[in-house]
Parts: sequence; C-alpha cells; structure tokens
Amino acid sequence: MRVPRGRRAAAWLALLAAIGAGAFVILTRPSPLDASAIPPHRPDLARGEALFHAGSCLACHAAPKDAPERREGVPSGGNAFPTPVGVFYPQNLTPDAETGLGLWSDLDFANAMVRGISPAGLHYFPAFPYPSYHFMPITDLLDLRGYLMSLPPVRSPNREPDMPLVSVARRGVGLWKRWGLDEGTFSPDPDRDAAWNRGAYLVRGPGHCGECHTPRNWLMVPDESRYLAGGPHPRGEGSVPSLRGLVARERYEDAADLTLALQYGETFGYDKLSSGGMGDIQASLARLEEGDVRAIAEYLVSLD
Amino acid sequence: MKQAKRSVRALSVTTAIVIGAAPLAISSTTGTDAIKARQETMEGIGDAMEGLAAIAKKEKPFDPAVVSKNAETIASHFRTAATLFPEGSHQGEVETWAKTEVWSDRETFDDTLESAEKAAVALQSVSEEAAFRPALAKLGENCKSCHEMFRRPKE
Repeated sequence: MRVPRGRRAAAWLALLAAIGAGAFVILTRPSPLDASAIPPHRPDLARGEALFHAGSCLACHAAPKDAPERREGVPSGGNAFPTPVGVFYPQNLTPDAETGLGLWSDLDFANAMVRGISPAGLHYFPAFPYPSYHFMPITDLLDLRGYLMSLPPVRSPNREPDMPLVSVARRGVGLWKRWGLDEGTFSPDPDRDAAWNRGAYLVRGPGHCGECHTPRNWLMVPDESRYLAGGPHPRGEGSVPSLRGLVARERYEDAADLTLALQYGETFGYDKLSSGGMGDIQASLARLEEGDVRAIAEYLVSLD
Repeated sequence: MKQAKRSVRALSVTTAIVIGAAPLAISSTTGTDAIKARQETMEGIGDAMEGLAAIAKKEKPFDPAVVSKNAETIASHFRTAATLFPEGSHQGEVETWAKTEVWSDRETFDDTLESAEKAAVALQSVSEEAAFRPALAKLGENCKSCHEMFRRPKE
C-alpha cells in the first residue's frame, strides 16, 4: 500500500518539529546552583548596603514615582523599564512574603543573582543584569540579601513583561545563556593594588556598568573586545558614552576628578552624569564610602 | 514670444521653489540659531558653576560676593534659556541633545526651568558658608533632574 505523498511529507515535518522542540527544551534547560554552593555565613548588613548602592538597585527597582506604595530607598519594584525587546517590570525586592523576597531561601537568591533563575526554576530575562552579578562571591550575595531582608516589607505584585510570546521567549533565554552568561567569580589581578581590584570588582560585578556601557553583538551579548567602549542606549535614546580613555579624551582630569564627579555630580558642575538614567546611578554611587568611589574611579581611568 | 513665455514659466517655477522652500529654510535657521544660542547659554551656566564648584571643592575660599555673582549669572541664563526652546527648534543644522519631551511635555519643562531659576536666586543671597553647600546641592539637583528628563545622553 502506498502512503500518499502529502501525508508522508506531513509525517516528516511532524518528526522534524518534534526533534526541534526536543532540542529546544534540552538546550534551554535551566542549570541552577547546587545547595552545597551556599556556605554558612552571617550576613554583614553594612557590606550588603554598600553592594546595594554599588549596584544602584534602586535605579531600576524603586517603585514608580506616582505609586502609592513608593517609599524612599525601598526597592518595591514595578517601574516600567523599556528596552528594544519589550517592557520589563523589575521585581519587588522587599521582604514581603507574598510579592517580595520574603520566602526566598539563600539558594533562591543566589540562583537569581548568578544564574538568572527564579525560585520557580524559570529563566529571568537578562534585562535583570545577572550576567554581571555572576562575578559576585556567594558571601557578598548573602550580605546583600541580608540588607534587603532588613528593609520594610512592601506589598507590590510582580508583573510579566510586555512582549509577544513571553513564555517561549523566557524559555529561549536558556539558549542565550549559552553565549551570554559566564560562570565563576571575579579574580583579582595580582599585578594591581587592592584599590584597583576593588574598583574592578565593583564595576564588573555589582556595578554592572558593562550592561549599558559595553556594546552588544548581534546575539545581544556584550562584546568583551569593546568592554565599556560605549554604544547605543538600551532604551533607544541616543548613545551611551565610552568609559575608556576618560583622561586622554579630557573627560576627567584624573581619578580624583572622576571621584568628585561620581560623588557630587551636578552639584560640583559635572553635567555628564545625568542623562539616560545615569543620574539615579550617580545618586546611588554617591552613597558609597569614599574609598569605594575612589576605587571605581581608579579602575575606570586605568582603561585606555 | 515663445521664449518670453518660457522664461516667465521658468521664473514662476523658480519663484514657487523659492517660496516653497522659504519656510523650510526659515524654520531650519530658527532651529539652528536657537540650538546654538541655548548651547552657549548652557556653557555660560557651566562656567559659572565652575566658580561655585571651586569653592565647594575648597580650591577657593568662600566669598559671598563671588557666590552671589555666579548665582546671579546662572539665574539670568535660566531666564534666557526659557526663551530658547521655541516650537520647531527640536532640530537644526547643528546637533541638539534636547529630547522631544521639551516640546511634548512643555509644562513640566517650564516648571523645571523655573524651579532651577529659583534655586539659583536662593543661592544668590547665601551669606554664610554653612548654608552654601546645601544651596548649591539644591541647584545641582535641579540641573540634574532637568537633564535626566529633557537631555539625551551624549558622547
């Protein structure tokens, strides 16, 4: 008996689709940390607060300006973050049990920060900059979590991003992670001093400066060969300046000058740090201890 | 006769082109002039800010006369700036970093500029060193919030 040609083609297509779907599921599978990755650690809230400001968490995770639940300095989330691929609504980071991080374990928090995986085992979109946070050692993550848990709980439900086919796209992030997400923490450069290494860590890790200041390739993966070299603005408004050659290009006189700019911004007449979202980030960095700001400045001016 | 007709036609075509292009030319010049003028104004503010920042950084001693003079310059530049964003000046022959929100959200823009001017005026009458830093910070906040809302990031 002969199978009609049309039906045979359909069977082949169905088989190919099944193989494709299977490959997609396998290649996009989340790869979380093992529970053994979490060492016993008593969180240091002051260090956690410094990381909170170094990461400018509030720049994205503060509530919208007109939200009734908005409280100064409290990251209850929900403020629309537009990007070329869709609009994201940053997570509520307060200890509220139902809508915040209240019921998260240390492992849940670490998985979110370094693997981009939610407690439900789903991928986060890399608009949440975990591809930078993977540089952070687990003990730093636990300090940060300790600080977040010390904040007042605010009820503010989380919201799915506005984009077509969210759940398929979310799963697809697993594929992107194969190129876009490294593992392993920051390793200091033994030829440099402690301040430089502290600066490098803050810039690369918690500060996640490269998320905007490093241009991305066609896979939306930051191009390491052009690290912090500037590029199009992720919100589509103009461009993000290069942070390389800041002294040679006469943007700042030296590390001390850049330190003052980061600490005081427009108050001291430095007008370049208040466009495209940088104003909020400068305000966060201004809350760091002077030594940390100076470390950031020393590292940045060393990039040529 | 034929030749005259042709030259009349050529003339009217030329006239039409000139008349048609005139508004374009005018608007583009208006934009260009306004952009240049406001950029100069902002540079003037920047220069006066440098004088104030030098005191804040303790590179120069606190001098109420210097503070007042610089703050006055800044306040007057703000009053000028308010006139330098006319309709249609969102583009011109020179690059501008003004966001279109300047014109689409004019009320907020005008309020922000006015608030900045008030902060500069308040700084004018600061006579004691202890009040200088907070007053300068207030002015800085105004510069910052306006730049965040209405200026595109630039290289």
